[in-house]
Amino acid sequence: MTGTEISTGTRSPLWRNVRVIRVALQVMAVVVVFGAIWILGTNLRDELIAKNLPTGFDFLNQPTGVTIADSSFKPSSPVWAALIAGMKNTFALTIVGIPLVTILGTLIGVARLSTNWLVAKAAAVYVETIRNIPPLLIILFVFNVVILPLPAPNDPATPLDWFVISNLKIVGPGFTSSPGAGILLIIVILALVAAVIVGRWRTRYSDQTGEHHHRMLWGLGVFAAIVLVGYVVTGRPVAFSLPVLEGRVITGGFGGLGSYFAVLAALVIYTASHVAEIIRGSILAVPRGQTEAANAIALTGFQRLRFVILPQAFRFALPPMINQYLNFTKNTSLAIAIGFAEITLVTFQLIGNGFPAPQLILLLMGAYLLFTLTISLIANVINRRLQLVTNR
Amino acid sequence: MKRIAILAVAFALVLAACNGNSDATTTVPSGTDDTPPPAAMGDLLQTVIDRGSVICGVNEAVPGFGYTDADGNFSGFDIDYCRAVAAAVFGDAEAVTYRALTAQQRFTALQSGEIDVLIRNTTFTASRDGREGATFLTTTFYDGQGMMVRSDSGITSIDDMANLSVCVLSGTTTELNLAARFGDTPFTPLTFDNNDQLQAAFVAGQCDGWTSDKSQLAGVRTNFPESEGGPEALTILDETFSKEPLGPVVADGDSQWAQVVNWVVLATIQGEEWGLTSANVKDYDGDNNEIRRFLGLEVTTDEGTAVFDPGLGLPTDFAVQVISQVGNYGEIFDRNVGPSTPLGLQRGFNAQWTDGGLLYAPPYR
Repeated sequence: MTGTEISTGTRSPLWRNVRVIRVALQVMAVVVVFGAIWILGTNLRDELIAKNLPTGFDFLNQPTGVTIADSSFKPSSPVWAALIAGMKNTFALTIVGIPLVTILGTLIGVARLSTNWLVAKAAAVYVETIRNIPPLLIILFVFNVVILPLPAPNDPATPLDWFVISNLKIVGPGFTSSPGAGILLIIVILALVAAVIVGRWRTRYSDQTGEHHHRMLWGLGVFAAIVLVGYVVTGRPVAFSLPVLEGRVITGGFGGLGSYFAVLAALVIYTASHVAEIIRGSILAVPRGQTEAANAIALTGFQRLRFVILPQAFRFALPPMINQYLNFTKNTSLAIAIGFAEITLVTFQLIGNGFPAPQLILLLMGAYLLFTLTISLIANVINRRLQLVTNR
Repeated sequence: MKRIAILAVAFALVLAACNGNSDATTTVPSGTDDTPPPAAMGDLLQTVIDRGSVICGVNEAVPGFGYTDADGNFSGFDIDYCRAVAAAVFGDAEAVTYRALTAQQRFTALQSGEIDVLIRNTTFTASRDGREGATFLTTTFYDGQGMMVRSDSGITSIDDMANLSVCVLSGTTTELNLAARFGDTPFTPLTFDNNDQLQAAFVAGQCDGWTSDKSQLAGVRTNFPESEGGPEALTILDETFSKEPLGPVVADGDSQWAQVVNWVVLATIQGEEWGLTSANVKDYDGDNNEIRRFLGLEVTTDEGTAVFDPGLGLPTDFAVQVISQVGNYGEIFDRNVGPSTPLGLQRGFNAQWTDGGLLYAPPYR
């Protein structure tokens, strides 16, 4: 430390000490930010009181009186249950949508770099058209042009007797569950963990002995054995079922409202166009020498992509992909335009029926925050894992 | 992780600020020291006069009540009441700025002061009166909820509709009545936030029924596309399953402005009772002192002649302006929704009390 105090020998005054200034600035920034939030919050509260509007969150326990399509929600259920029902529908969109977006986006991104002229141009046209159309228009288009022209629910189409398709509801083969299905789900998760452990053990074994690891075979075998035993032990709680149409009631099978599929398809189509560009850019960012090296050891085109290019490209792609996943989640709020009861529609429905708007909008923002932070958290964990591999 | 923690703290702070005084609101009556006083009496009336126009929150998608034509002109029963307020305040029925609102937006617009008055087929309910900070004024239209189905569907009663789907506008009392009417009977409610998308879904057969106030159903029925069979393809079931008193709404806290809008409505009702129409109101020269007071004409009393001013804050001749420029209740009804219009509604409950209806204006004295 002595070396830093050169000529005078006296300590510099506190207000010129860099470390003190840094800390002070940070403290000030925190105070300003939280002060602003506090002022906004109290301002909101005072205005509400002045206008004789309810503050507080007591309304969450009152019955809503509204109904929500295709859900077990009853008009006598409280407000918080309605919000949960809305979040479930938003979750149903994101959990199915994000994997589909990843797959479709990757396919199109790879296709755009294809040496086949037709495939490359088709992918280019897709990306350039779709990503320049607002997602709301795509949702309205899919709903009005694809879903509504389907047969009306009083005379649905039943292709192969496996599906019941109408513009109200689309149901396909699925599983019916009885009590015990929850336990089976836990067993399946445990089986998955066991399979991963066995796979790791096989990898280690292979590293030590040099014998082939067959880890896929081993893992799947362990997984199948555990699940099969669990299935029998829990009393076969899950059965394959086809949708059955009786009058207007569809029992069995697995499906959703027409509006659900409209939002899902529209947002997957839209977001995939952005993901495709990310994938294309990431593939181009992999050094050319990697391709040449892969060619030099005579890998096929598919092998080159699967084992050399894509694993590296995904590392570049992941951070911007997280953004697209978040966009997908936030864009689900556009479903309000076609009446799919996700969290935004439910919130507005409640506001329209006399529940306080400021509080509900705060809760709505909180709900989206919860969704997006969860997604970033998961994605960041994956990202860190990928990054570690490079640093090793 | 740090980012999440910061966001969580910020969010909790807002919630806390919002929740902080929730107990105080229930115990402290408004107007005491620690709450800001409500807007001073007459503030909004003066604001409106200074601005030179009334900002009126309206519907734009219900023919007969509030509707915009292709040129963007508003017309309808509710629109005429906006014009009546302007006629009373300014003597000019055209001094109105219209704000088209959805059902969900309307109360927020009223609370935030974006509009002066909400005249948008809004049902008077206790919770809206209490929780939305709204003051409901004299009902202009006594309505009830009905169900519209395809004429060829074979549905004759709501009891035939178990397991069927029903389209409804979200954020409306009709949504609540629908749930109550079906009770434990399973059905699929499809909620839309605008009538156009709802109509597209109905045309495609996605919903078997379309529920709303009967007057609104009559309005959209007249507008049903000819390619789908026109109005004849639709039937409004006889059953009425709710009370829907519709009328103008103002924000809580300004009783003078509430009086002004209220007496504009009452003037149209009183005018009809006395047979004053847009054609004859300006020429009235009779000696009925009640009518002379109402029209702001000189009244002879023991102390001499004087013009009666009830102190509403309106010009003494406001009733003349309202009736001559917009018409009395009967004229407004007949012009927009009456038997000679496409909607073809009968007066029903909306007749004068002297004809067995519910329209009854208090004495003007």
